[in-house]
Amino acid sequence: MWREWSELDRMFRAMDLLNARVNRLYQGSEGYRISGAPSGLTQMGPRTNLRDAGDHLRITAELPGVSREDLQIRLQGNYLEISGNRKAENPEGYTRHRQERVVTSFSRSFTLPADIDSTKVEAKLKDGILTLTLPKVEAAKPRQITIN
Amino acid sequence: MSEAKDVAVRREAMVERKSSIEAMTPFVDIFENDDEILLFADMPGVDKKDVAINIDNGKLTLSGLRETGEDGVLSWEEFGDVEYQRTFSVPQTIDVDKVNAELRDGVLRLHLPKSAAAKPRQIHIKGD
Repeated sequence: MWREWSELDRMFRAMDLLNARVNRLYQGSEGYRISGAPSGLTQMGPRTNLRDAGDHLRITAELPGVSREDLQIRLQGNYLEISGNRKAENPEGYTRHRQERVVTSFSRSFTLPADIDSTKVEAKLKDGILTLTLPKVEAAKPRQITIN
Repeated sequence: MSEAKDVAVRREAMVERKSSIEAMTPFVDIFENDDEILLFADMPGVDKKDVAINIDNGKLTLSGLRETGEDGVLSWEEFGDVEYQRTFSVPQTIDVDKVNAELRDGVLRLHLPKSAAAKPRQIHIKGD
């Protein structure tokens, strides 16, 4: 019987832990988010937006404190992968009082709604926001249909 | 989290200003050495001109506004316009005139130097 109890105990502890983690993830974010992406950068990757501008798609991603050298973007057909890592910023000789900014490596992949011409992709990293302009391949671009 | 108690975010209900912009607490790292307190805050997408840092009566208020203003048909959206806001209690010993900040890669770095009187001082014991 003691065995079952300890099992139960363990289960509760695991639940507490999970709960605390979830709270930590959603701390500071109000309102409903479309995907499960938490606020801030975690190993699940950055939060992103995807917009379709007809002949190209545009992805923006929140990547505060990630330098260009620490970021990899891979594209194959309509499969996009953004990965990288955010390094610890520990100034020397300082005592740390609080650390909320996550130090992690991350990777997130997407299946885009159209095939992309990978030779014409543009990537820009400014103020911690990555903007990818992804031109669609000719066949995937919208075409005006004239009615006879 | 008991730690969170000393950090209060104010959300005043202002009748005149009914903004639809979401308020968010930025993630911060806080460091300290003998000379200064150093604060890092994640504010991706915030332009330098939209950051306000206010120190008044022992309260440090950070705020940063991000307006994305993108065109195109939205397929999915996980972040949008936001107002980063956070208030901290800071010791009175901060030398307000020498506070400086920089914004790089979406991270605000705020240096809060301690005034000379607050720095630890080595006391020499005089001999005869």
